[in-house]
Amino acid sequence: MKKSRKRRITDDQPELEMTPMIDVVFQLLIFFIVTLKKEDILSMLSAARPAADSAADPRNQPNVINIEINNMGFVYRGTPVSKNLLERRLASMAVYDKKVSVVIRCTADSPHKFLVQTLDICYKLQLQNLAIFSM
Amino acid sequence: MARERKSYSTGSDLNMTPMIDVVFQLIIFFVVTLKMTKDENTDIELEDGKHGPIVKEMPPQTLIIEVARNGRISIHNAAMNERMLQEILIGRVNRFRNTSFPVLIRADYRTKHRDVKRVMDVCTSAGIWKLSFVAIQEHKAGGKK
Repeated sequence: MKKSRKRRITDDQPELEMTPMIDVVFQLLIFFIVTLKKEDILSMLSAARPAADSAADPRNQPNVINIEINNMGFVYRGTPVSKNLLERRLASMAVYDKKVSVVIRCTADSPHKFLVQTLDICYKLQLQNLAIFSM
Repeated sequence: MARERKSYSTGSDLNMTPMIDVVFQLIIFFVVTLKMTKDENTDIELEDGKHGPIVKEMPPQTLIIEVARNGRISIHNAAMNERMLQEILIGRVNRFRNTSFPVLIRADYRTKHRDVKRVMDVCTSAGIWKLSFVAIQEHKAGGKK
């Protein structure tokens, strides 16, 4: 009798209920897969920010590309230009000298995206001397 | 009857151990990689900047200053005014004994320049002249526009 009882206990052990465990584990898996968010790849656009009083007025300096940014868009040499046109103008300047200083002057009500777009164009053209002034 | 029981028992003899191992490995992977709380202002939508260098692993002393669309300044989504930001920056400059630690400005693409200027002015007053703006190199989480 004792022997048969022992055998029954050992027989019961492999018949452990796996179904609920697998159910729970799959629920957890689905939760984590659904909550997993892909993240954007970020880039970094750097520029110098000279103090307003330390530098001379950049408009009067030679060999400087002046770009003005207002709430409507970009102004290059006193003329409003589109993003593509600005890129072409800067590209024609960048051909001669990559180390030319680019001064970006932003008005207070200009949206930040225009500044980022301008910096992105400068990075594309490998212009390195970038400075931001605020008006 | 005896035969039926036999065939049923052989069906449940399928080895579950490797499957459970794999599933647990996957769960552990997701638990470890999951960030439950985001320590950044998720309302900020960045402009595209495909040509800048990719922000990879940043040095631990990197400071990311967030500027929301309405001009709210924050670090790790904790709002602050210019005076508090200045104290933090001067504290960092004194601690690292130089001003060369990276400062990233994470501003919304609709933020007015006057609000970004407030942050830039604080940085320059603390002696930090080189500023970086965060943009999106490649969309993975879905585009903004």
